[in-house]
Amino acid sequence: MEGFIRNMLAMIELEMRRLKHDRTELYSRAIQPILWIAVFGPIMGSVRAIPTGGIPYTDYITPGALIQSTTFISIFYGLTIVWERESGILKRLLVAPVSRYSIVIGRALASGVRAIFQALIIIPVALLMGVRFVPSVPNFILALLIIFLSSGGFAAISILVASFMKTRERFMGIGQALTMPLFFASNALYPVSMMPEIMRWIAFFNPMSYVVDAVRSLMITGNLSSLLTDLAAIMLFDAVMFIVASINFRRIIE
Amino acid sequence: MDYAIRVSGLIKVYEGKVKALDGVYLSVEPGKIFALLGPNGAGKTTLMRILTTQIKPTSGEAYIFGLNVVRDGARVRQLISYVPQEMSVWTDISGYENLLIYAKIYGVPLSERDRLIWDALESMGLSEFANNLVRTYSGGMIRRLECACALLTKPKILFLDEPTIGLDPSARRAVWERLKAFMKDYDATIFFNTHYMDEADLYSDETAIINRGRIVASGTPESLKRSLRGEIISLEVEDSSFDLRVLEAIKGLDVISDVIVSGDEISVVAQDAEASLPRVMEILRSNNVLVKRASITKPTLDDVFLKYAGVRLEPSAGRISEVRQVRRMIGRG
Repeated sequence: MEGFIRNMLAMIELEMRRLKHDRTELYSRAIQPILWIAVFGPIMGSVRAIPTGGIPYTDYITPGALIQSTTFISIFYGLTIVWERESGILKRLLVAPVSRYSIVIGRALASGVRAIFQALIIIPVALLMGVRFVPSVPNFILALLIIFLSSGGFAAISILVASFMKTRERFMGIGQALTMPLFFASNALYPVSMMPEIMRWIAFFNPMSYVVDAVRSLMITGNLSSLLTDLAAIMLFDAVMFIVASINFRRIIE
Repeated sequence: MDYAIRVSGLIKVYEGKVKALDGVYLSVEPGKIFALLGPNGAGKTTLMRILTTQIKPTSGEAYIFGLNVVRDGARVRQLISYVPQEMSVWTDISGYENLLIYAKIYGVPLSERDRLIWDALESMGLSEFANNLVRTYSGGMIRRLECACALLTKPKILFLDEPTIGLDPSARRAVWERLKAFMKDYDATIFFNTHYMDEADLYSDETAIINRGRIVASGTPESLKRSLRGEIISLEVEDSSFDLRVLEAIKGLDVISDVIVSGDEISVVAQDAEASLPRVMEILRSNNVLVKRASITKPTLDDVFLKYAGVRLEPSAGRISEVRQVRRMIGRG
């Protein structure tokens, strides 16, 4: 257990050190969510077609745009694993005296580090755009923690995909095909109640919906009535993805 | 005595069809440098990946200091270090940071961590580049950093897969000098794969030759060369489509112990090459086989390889593409 945590922390530290040397990805990936908040939000908001429960539309989609961007980062994090597979890094990690679960979970959670730094770039921009956040430090910290943990689950999906797609090119294709449906079949841009019946079912099983709902309630609405359900769903999602990705991890090396 | 490595009857079949290992037997004594010499695709990497607990054998057993690599994998991993053939360091952080992350993964105690990291950097001659990004390192420096990561935890056995692939001779020498110094200081064992016969010859205490998943010969490089029992006359002939009965005639001479043909080259193994050459030439001439050039060589490991595996190792083939591959790996980081 001690080795497990040690390895996870080492993976997280690795990610922070990488970011210290090169943050280009964070800046370039921040452009898209900022466009959602700065352009799409105000324009769609002026139509007043979407029931947001009384909050401005831009405020409503800010958690959605934020989570979309951190999820994309996590999903494409699988690319790192593909690259480490092509190089010898993964082989070497497998020969280290640590469990394979800790490699998968550690790498997955390391993507959460990127996600948090991404959030820390987007939130100030949203503030400048006039988005009103719930002024509560504990809420803010809990929201970041949720982003961190859920990114781990999404990164585990991408590690799972990486263990099937062994080249970067294939992975890029699948990565795209995975991320956009997650985004559109969630409550990121519109409430689930507006969706057709089938979409609602997809949204029900879409982990992104729960993450967006949790972050929205903590940061924007302050209505925490569904927070426990969201947290439970995210934990379940993480646990399942960590286990499935770890079990399949053997494939990546053979 | 407990062998550092003992392998018996190891077979590995990939996906039910490709037979990478076909019954490997070998043993390595502690404190020795052991070279596994063979061409690409002979099964070297497969064997090393089984010994380092990455993949399971289809059948057969392998032990590291008496521990079974399948059943006691976790304990084996505490004794060994491994440098894969491909690049295995993170290029977007510094050399020091690479060692720091490995130290943390291996649980090196905080009180010793910094000293051990600087020791490892020092021993591989990288101290002054410690804080540079690995991306800026040369191929030789990256290989030394990988070795430094492997030495950091003071392993009992070091597994090196093609440790000097793509390195120029001076970089290769530098890597080996430092590895040998480490071995002496910590009484470690080294097991390495190579397809450079001179590397096996120069640096190993014992060499095993592997071809098509089987060990075809093993011993010290000296004893392997002696086992050829003789010197070699190499003859390049004008036309390789000669009557094979000529070879039988040469073999029939009492001073000749073996004759091997590889393309348009005939290698004749003789006790005394200088004295045998005229008699061999006589037979060839009387059978109308034109000899373009003749040379006499004392045996090398390449000749040993030719005898036991029936093909040449071609040490220079693929050199350029290897260098390119290594470079590409670095460029990607």
